[in-house]
Amino acid sequence: MVEERRILYEHLDVPDINTFDVFRQYDGYTRFEKAIAEYQPDDIAKMVMDSGLKGRGGAGFSTGLKWSFVPRDIKPCYLCCNADESEPGTFSNRYVLEKNPHLLIEGILICCYAMGIETTYVYIRGEFTLGKRMLDAAIKEAYEKGYLGKDVRGTGLNIDIYTHPGAGAYICGEETGLIESLEGKRGQPRNKPPFPAVEGVFSKPTVVQNVETLCNLPFIVGNGVEWYTKMGPTYADTREDPPKADPNTGTKLYCISGDVNEPGVYELELGLTCTELIEVAGGLRGEEVKAVIPGGSSAPILTHYELDTRLDFTSLTLAKSMLGSGGIIVMNETRNIVDCLLNIMKFYAHESCGQCTPCRWGTPWVRDIVQRIADGEGRQDTITRPKFGVTESGRWGDTGETEEIYEDLDLLESVANNIANVDTMTWNTICVFGIAVSWPAVSYMRKFRPEFEAAIREGKLVTLPVAEATVPPEENYAYQQRFIPKEFADL
Amino acid sequence: MSDERIQIETPFAFNEENQREFDELIGRYPVKEAAMLPTLHLAQRQAGYITPAVMKYVAKLLEVTVMKVKDVVTFYPMFFEEPVGEYVIRVCHTLPCALRDCKVVLDHLKAKLETDIASETNLAKGTTADGKFTLMKVECLASCDVAPVIMINDDLYKNLTPEKVDEILDNLDNL
Ligand SMILES: Cc1cc2nc3c(=O)[nH]c(=O)nc-3n(C[C@H](O)[C@H](O)[C@H](O)COP(=O)(O)O)c2cc1C
Ligand code: SF4
Ligand code: FES
Repeated sequence: MVEERRILYEHLDVPDINTFDVFRQYDGYTRFEKAIAEYQPDDIAKMVMDSGLKGRGGAGFSTGLKWSFVPRDIKPCYLCCNADESEPGTFSNRYVLEKNPHLLIEGILICCYAMGIETTYVYIRGEFTLGKRMLDAAIKEAYEKGYLGKDVRGTGLNIDIYTHPGAGAYICGEETGLIESLEGKRGQPRNKPPFPAVEGVFSKPTVVQNVETLCNLPFIVGNGVEWYTKMGPTYADTREDPPKADPNTGTKLYCISGDVNEPGVYELELGLTCTELIEVAGGLRGEEVKAVIPGGSSAPILTHYELDTRLDFTSLTLAKSMLGSGGIIVMNETRNIVDCLLNIMKFYAHESCGQCTPCRWGTPWVRDIVQRIADGEGRQDTITRPKFGVTESGRWGDTGETEEIYEDLDLLESVANNIANVDTMTWNTICVFGIAVSWPAVSYMRKFRPEFEAAIREGKLVTLPVAEATVPPEENYAYQQRFIPKEFADL
Repeated sequence: MSDERIQIETPFAFNEENQREFDELIGRYPVKEAAMLPTLHLAQRQAGYITPAVMKYVAKLLEVTVMKVKDVVTFYPMFFEEPVGEYVIRVCHTLPCALRDCKVVLDHLKAKLETDIASETNLAKGTTADGKFTLMKVECLASCDVAPVIMINDDLYKNLTPEKVDEILDNLDNL
């Protein structure tokens, strides 16, 4: 069995770790002190780049690379810490804020030193009242002890951290939505480019980083890059010659919920499989796994055939899904996939910010179609359309044959793909919320089509046994297209 | 018809404590408008909900138009434009909570409080006749490991069952 590897969460349960004195006993702020004593800012940025750290908030973008886009000559530059955590199934940031807020402050300090930043805003979702209180108290202590404010520890650095409360809108987790919201406006995402790294909050360069990403920094500085990169797999992108390294280094705070015996946050090295994670979380509650959502509700679903997929950024992307925020939701054989999709689509229809027409209208439309199917009123007429599958050339595509499909399922796929097309990965919306809607809609429907068809045919929700509900691997678009990456060690 | 439109508003101003907090807040941002969300939170805590008078007051403080304040208030679900109960009960109903039977908790609350569920445009629908409770559904509260969960005002309650809900509501007055 895979062992937990607690690094960020190591001291989480130490009593009073939220106070400066106890945090200090567990090496608190020594990593920041090491950073300012031993390294130049550019050295820290290089270490972060070499560590291969990828953003933990959703996009999984290389943190070092993001920092390298920030122009060094435009001041002030801001850091926005994204503590908006609203992706359904994700709850790891909350525990950091509530139990170990000084760790986040230390991470912020290191980032500020590396990037020459003087002001940080921590955008905390409005419902986290306890988390905000704890962080505010910790910030106050850090000011008193001279780790924040003017001339930090006699180094001449001026660093301020302020908390900023959100007010219940999911879209404010999107980085440009967050910036708009921070500026006191509706949290409607901005067109990119310009990217926040160049022009963000108050039209100044802005680094937006998730809580978990920032909490990794003290350990990279404290223990060194070599120690850090030993954790997690580094893949070889064999499609390039010579193979390009694709690091999935470090640990991840996996949040697991749904049908497992011990839901919770488990800190593990990146790269374990779905099956292993379920085992770590006390095993399945129920008889059989029906489906797993691997990265928050926005991620395409995995069937029981795909449970050997490794839960890291690269493997999941190549399996046509994503690690996203690391919120894993497990469903057992008693669950109805149509019902689950309905729940998720209600969420998205409620949370669309309403700027782009495909998203504003398409999302409620998808919800209504799923609602109709769930109510047993799905349209019965069948439509003949080109059948997609493995073609003669061995690739996935139009087979030249035709197939019959229920009108509403065709409509569902068509509307979803017009918000954002999951096959071509193109969209006409401002932010990637659009793809977060069509990914689940299309993947649930394609991978569990028998259950959708049964609901339409029978005129009510029917929960089929797992084997019957799931489309077999040879008809599963994602299974056919998936690519299992090799580690350097295996080459 | 015309009579209804004439509303006599109680004017609004921060009390001393909130004024102090506001003075501290406003210094954090290079532009005043950025203090919008924290200021509205403060105002809502004092006034109970965002009245037109509150919007006017906030607009003046932040040197923006009233329309801009209204624009923001209507966007965020946590700001209320109608009176709400003394206790606002938020029941999470997103997928992980749904997998753990949040519907039982919600139905129990509905029956116990004898009220419907508030919608964003009709808070009165979910408010009890005595004005004590407002019941509403919300999206994931980032506590799916201890689902099903509810929030009553600022406090989170975990792993709920109908019995636990009864116990919590009975003890609310003693808090
Ligand atoms: C619709 C949407 C919601 C998001 N919600 C969050 C969130 O709640 N928390 C978060 O950290 N990132 C969220 N993100 C990702 C952010 O846009 C951004 O990528 C991230 O904060 C960058 O930080 P990182 O590189 O440290 O991950 C969301 C993105 C989208 C498109
Ligand atoms: S895609 Fe949707 S959420 Fe994103 S900006 Fe457009 S309307 Fe808003
Ligand atoms: S779904 Fe209820 S807390 Fe996440």
